[in-house]
Amino acid sequence: MTKQFLTSIFVAFAVLIALPAAWAAQVGQPAPEFTATDSNGQVHTLSQYRGKFVVLEWTNRGCPYTQKHYNSGNMQRLQREWTSRGVIWLTVVSSAPGKQGYVTASEENAYLKQANAAPTAVLLDPTGALGHLYDAKTTPHMFIINPQGTLIYNGAIDDRPTTDVADVNGAKNYVSAALGEATAGKPVGTPTSRPYGCSVKYAE
Amino acid sequence: MAFLLRQKIAFLTAYVMLMLVARLSAQLPPDSHARIELIAEQNTMLPGKPLWVGLLFRLDSGWHIYWQNPGDSGEPPKVQWQLPQGLAAGAIRWPQPVRLGSGTVIDYGYEGQVLLMAPIENTSKAQATSLPSLAADVKYIVCREMCIPGKAHLTLAPPPGGDWDRWRVLFQQTRAQLPKPAPPGWKISAESDKAHFIVSVRGAAQVRSASFFPLDPGLIDNSSQQDFASNREGFSLTLKKSEQLSKPISTLRGLIVLGPGRAFEVAAPVVAR
Repeated sequence: MTKQFLTSIFVAFAVLIALPAAWAAQVGQPAPEFTATDSNGQVHTLSQYRGKFVVLEWTNRGCPYTQKHYNSGNMQRLQREWTSRGVIWLTVVSSAPGKQGYVTASEENAYLKQANAAPTAVLLDPTGALGHLYDAKTTPHMFIINPQGTLIYNGAIDDRPTTDVADVNGAKNYVSAALGEATAGKPVGTPTSRPYGCSVKYAE
Repeated sequence: MAFLLRQKIAFLTAYVMLMLVARLSAQLPPDSHARIELIAEQNTMLPGKPLWVGLLFRLDSGWHIYWQNPGDSGEPPKVQWQLPQGLAAGAIRWPQPVRLGSGTVIDYGYEGQVLLMAPIENTSKAQATSLPSLAADVKYIVCREMCIPGKAHLTLAPPPGGDWDRWRVLFQQTRAQLPKPAPPGWKISAESDKAHFIVSVRGAAQVRSASFFPLDPGLIDNSSQQDFASNREGFSLTLKKSEQLSKPISTLRGLIVLGPGRAFEVAAPVVAR
């Protein structure tokens, strides 16, 4: 144990505790790197998608705000529209075991068929690690990462924070707007909004 | 065969009667975890004075509804009044909320029982009359581990047993606990730096602890610790900004809460540090 070694340990520790609590996923900053497993057992990392747009969609099929978008077919339509244009769409389930929205891999695959959903993959996050990494608060909560790995959208799916299916059609969809602008090389007009929905059911 | 037919008729009759009863008690939707009634403070309408009415929510244990700023999730109840000509409803007076939730998702709202009251103004200035026939369409979401949206069409009904005192006391108690304007001696301001709002209150030397409840959603990070610091003149509260806040704001509105029943409305002008 040299003095130098001890000093560097001390400095590292001091830097760590002195760091102000930064935001997890801040628009304009690099999106947090992650490793997660999908409902087919495949591992996904954010870095493997460098060069593509990536959408992260937090979901809980029991939440009435999520149901508004799935029962109306809105979410499935968005998934199809954007994945057909080369966007990677990752649905994320961060519900802990025993809590609303928790699913096993086979349950999720059965649900995807039944709901006719079309994400690129569904990441199963029962420990909430991915959810906490991005500070996902609600279901739905949407994040968009650009091909350079920068977070360009963090917020609500649209501007109608209700459970009413009737509010889907007239709403301004922030995800489509951001992807439309970014894929055309334009700046994102609304890069953040207050996410609405039920709270993500993290482990206690 | 005749016996089976009689059975079917009996069943059908019972079913129809059950449906009728369910419709009559439209104020008490079954299994919704929230019983809501539209009540009034008194049984007459006096000229030149508002009639206070209210939505009385009684929630099952562990279930909650939301404040006007619901926090990280949920949404507040919304009401559409149906009033006769010459009457107009004022805004709901929101009682002091509590912090709900845990970990990284924090909300603001109410558990147990809460009365959301509003004034009905008599714009036609007629003489004293009996209660007008009012109705309210209420949309709300009630949550515990899961959320259940609900709606109710409520009409103003008299108290059980004609016990107007019970409701009058409820209005008085609720009114006494409503947030109040900040004390005239308080000088309130806020500074904004990259990651925080720092709310300063001067002229409040005796305050030992306080917390801030933001009125507008999406401004502060509701789950972050609020740093309270007292000084010679008063105190400051350092509030972490919300991840979703992307533009500067001119005013930070909310409640500074010193304890139960001691909530003060503030609107702090914000200057960049």
